[in-house]
Amino acid sequence: MNAPPHAGRQVGRSIPRLEARAKVTGRAEYIHNLALPGMLHAKIFRSTVPHGRIVRIDVEGARAMPGVAAIVTGADIKRLIPEPYFGPAFHDQPILALDKVRYAGEPVAVALASDPHLAEAAAAAISAEYEELPAVYDEVEAMDSAAIVHETLKPAGTFPDLKHLAGRKNTNVALDFRLRRGDIEGAFAAAAHVFEHAFKTQHVLHVPLEPLVSVADVGAESLTLYTASQGPSFVRIEIARLLGWPENRVRVKSAHLGGGFGSKLYIKLEALAVALSMIARRPVKVALTMQEQFFTITKHATTFRIASALDRSGRITARRCAVYWNGGAYADIGPRVTQKSGFTAAGPYDIENVAIDSYALYTNLPPAGALRGFGIPQLVWAYESHTDMIARALGLDPLEFRRRNLLRNGRPQATGTILKDAATEAVLERLAQRMDWSGHFERGTGPVKRGRGIAIGFKASIAPTTSVALVTVHADGSAALQCGTVDMGQGSDTAMAQIVAEVLDLDARKIATQRPDTDVTPYDMGTLGSRSTFHMGNAVRIAAEDARAKIAALAAELGLPPGSNLPVAELFKRKYGMQAGTIVGIGSYVPSYTPPEPGTGLTPNATPFWMVGATGVELEIDTETGAVKILRLVNVADVGRPINPRIVETQLSGASIMQLGFTLTETMRFERGQLTNGSLADYKIPGFHDLPPAIESEAVAGEQTDGPFGAKGVGESGTFGVSPAIANAIHDAVGVRLTELPLTPEAIYRALAAQRGMPLEVE
Amino acid sequence: MIPFELAEPRSLGEALALLDPADLSVRPLGGGTALMLMMKSGLFAPKRLVSLAHLEARYGAIAARAEGGLRIGALARLREIERSPEVARAAPSIPRAMRRLSNVRVRNVATLGGNLAHADPHMDLPPLLIALRAEIAIAAPGADGTPVERRIPLADLYRGYLETTLGPRELIVELLLPPPGAWRAAYMKCTTRAADDWPALGVAAALEMEGGIARDVRLVVSAATDRPTRLARAEATLRGKAPSADLLARVGVAAMEEAPVLADAQGSAAYKRALLKVYAVRALERALAGDPPRKAAP
Repeated sequence: MNAPPHAGRQVGRSIPRLEARAKVTGRAEYIHNLALPGMLHAKIFRSTVPHGRIVRIDVEGARAMPGVAAIVTGADIKRLIPEPYFGPAFHDQPILALDKVRYAGEPVAVALASDPHLAEAAAAAISAEYEELPAVYDEVEAMDSAAIVHETLKPAGTFPDLKHLAGRKNTNVALDFRLRRGDIEGAFAAAAHVFEHAFKTQHVLHVPLEPLVSVADVGAESLTLYTASQGPSFVRIEIARLLGWPENRVRVKSAHLGGGFGSKLYIKLEALAVALSMIARRPVKVALTMQEQFFTITKHATTFRIASALDRSGRITARRCAVYWNGGAYADIGPRVTQKSGFTAAGPYDIENVAIDSYALYTNLPPAGALRGFGIPQLVWAYESHTDMIARALGLDPLEFRRRNLLRNGRPQATGTILKDAATEAVLERLAQRMDWSGHFERGTGPVKRGRGIAIGFKASIAPTTSVALVTVHADGSAALQCGTVDMGQGSDTAMAQIVAEVLDLDARKIATQRPDTDVTPYDMGTLGSRSTFHMGNAVRIAAEDARAKIAALAAELGLPPGSNLPVAELFKRKYGMQAGTIVGIGSYVPSYTPPEPGTGLTPNATPFWMVGATGVELEIDTETGAVKILRLVNVADVGRPINPRIVETQLSGASIMQLGFTLTETMRFERGQLTNGSLADYKIPGFHDLPPAIESEAVAGEQTDGPFGAKGVGESGTFGVSPAIANAIHDAVGVRLTELPLTPEAIYRALAAQRGMPLEVE
Repeated sequence: MIPFELAEPRSLGEALALLDPADLSVRPLGGGTALMLMMKSGLFAPKRLVSLAHLEARYGAIAARAEGGLRIGALARLREIERSPEVARAAPSIPRAMRRLSNVRVRNVATLGGNLAHADPHMDLPPLLIALRAEIAIAAPGADGTPVERRIPLADLYRGYLETTLGPRELIVELLLPPPGAWRAAYMKCTTRAADDWPALGVAAALEMEGGIARDVRLVVSAATDRPTRLARAEATLRGKAPSADLLARVGVAAMEEAPVLADAQGSAAYKRALLKVYAVRALERALAGDPPRKAAP
């Protein structure tokens, strides 16, 4: 049965979040607060060198401390798990370092004690000696560096397009994705104009306010993991693989998350918690401090070299992209970022001839993985800065230049996949209207100059991925949803409940939503990449429809006419003679997908849906100090039909504020592989005083025809355009172009000083 | 964090006796806002903390002195100072500066004495209080155990980064501000990363104005230097003259040239010198205008 294409009684309404009351009254459950009887606390001793062979780990002093339950090293874990390497793309990350360390901050040993302070003191009493090895930190240098992070590549085998890398030696290239379309050489040779630029982004951090935490309780026959995870199903599969156990002996429970943003995906602390619980034969909690998050997972720093060929009319005829992703010491999901985002590196433009080379690089820095946008913000930063630079060089209006080249529905994207249900045009035009782009713009007076800028980006949803859901109707007619989507603040519980309620004609506020628990909630690939509304939303819709069909079948069995409005509770009562029985609806959803052709990266079906996001910025710059003040931040996105418009709006504004931090204030500073600002005192996320006085977020009228009630993902779209829109506005205000994030007052001041012919000395 | 002893003396004499000049892991505890961070990060592991929270009430009092001067007990909370009508009357630039001093949660617990004694050059109050000609009273145990006090200009407290001239058994007990007379002052804080951040630069300016002439000038830079530092040549450039735009610009250049500016995570030295040139002028202009209220914090 097809879903109605329009908003209904439950879907399309801004009902308040279902968990809001529990959260603001402090009743919501978080793993962070979990304590089990007999539980030990684990504190991690970390590497102090970026690359080195482990000569000796001295644990005797720590082991002798009164109250210390155990000191555990990689060798202890290897006795238990012979191949103790984990990871979603590569099995490259040891549970604790073995033989060598690959970044400063890598876990080397663990102290266990009932008292976390004692465990901390014991961990501080551990010492290690290393034979230092040459290290590599820069992603471009890693391409042909003599320093090799991993002697042999070990792809996990999960992804077919990584298999060819198995056993490769003496390289830091963890994936070399390649896309070739049309005649690049010919188009550049025939071009009227050629532009080439390079852009860089910095390492940044997710900073969930609840740091990563896992509690493992291993019994003789089974184990339970309580973990602040965005992907309990993957955790179960990976733990079962490491132990050689069947999945049904591994139970993974998640909870409300105090933020995730990609940091709690795949597998992080879980394998360590399980191994420690097996060794100690007691429940073990591994809870990171805020500081330790800096050593766990980061966002890829990148270098992006981009070149475009244009004809006389200002049409882009060819684009060549080389993207270098700084993946750090372990691959995590980096190779997927490299490919799945890499293939959109040429931007939402209609370009006949495209070449993309996208490289995942190992370096001796903390690992990088998924962070809200899965690599897209790094790409948009480069191609939308580049786009503005071309427009200005050609004397074209930046909006008009984008209009002339925009990729529209019905036209092929770089992979050859025809764009469908992607409101690129509506998003760009609506942004232009909201910015009053053709109207007069006040330029400022005296030392304070004003400018404005726009940028548009797009993202392909990652494919293929699967979601399964159950909808249970109880004997009294109340309904519950079992699905593995993790609500980490994005409001998915509410949206999923609205879908169930719409199908079953119930009140969404009365749908009970089960917290993810792999013994109860069926498989889901993970809460990532803005996939849940579309994938899980469809599975939930199908499950609810299945339940509705079963209710109708029950009514028919009882001899009721079709369309009878007898309450469900009454149906159960007539069937079983009392309040009894259960109906379970099942929904499973996996969209169609065609893998890219090796070598060319071409495919007719690259993604189930496209996300489109654009941002406009008005700002002012104090030319005497370089201080920049964002006056207005306008986000426009295509999210299909919103399930809950208010939550959609807060997702867009929240994403844009997060990206504002990655643009203006946040950067992880390394000196020869050592992080120098691993605390929130020195790594500055934006506070309320940093927010623009005006933030506007709008979802354009869009429709994802195969989405649940026309909806698609929204969690990342607000990040896409923020960074280049700001850089473009800075250029508009004062005529300087910054090509490296973050856009600090000092960077702006230095560029202004250079422009005045009085460059500031370099220190 | 490993357990430690918390002593809670009821008098200044007892507190001084509990300090141990031979043991650096025995420290006085004011509001604890700086100390707790050092303890959490493992930088400092105390054997004993001597809480000053329960000393005689006068050490936390704020009182007017003759002719509009002011005395503030070292244990007064920053928030109390911020909201004190006496302080607003005698030195309105202090509550104005407070609005961007850390955040209200910190100001609710941090004490004036702790703020001064911590000697982190990024603190906002020391440069302003030096510009306001503040003195401090310091107590040490006397021969018979009763505390004896000495008095120094606040500027003389600072020796270097996190370093003061306080003896191991000395405590700051109060701050003394002279009558404002014809002085007017302002403090400007410049952050370069986020609004709520340690300053890259702090500049405090005070001028004694008489008939359009700056009879005396005090200009103090902080955050960009290893301690709050008076800029003597910049002050001299303006002293005895009428502050025109041209003259103020020359003061800015003099400030930039003489300040021993250091690089840190908030900016390079070259950039901070450029900021100082601008902010010295802005701070003086703001002081001349009587430090008008700012629209919103910050």
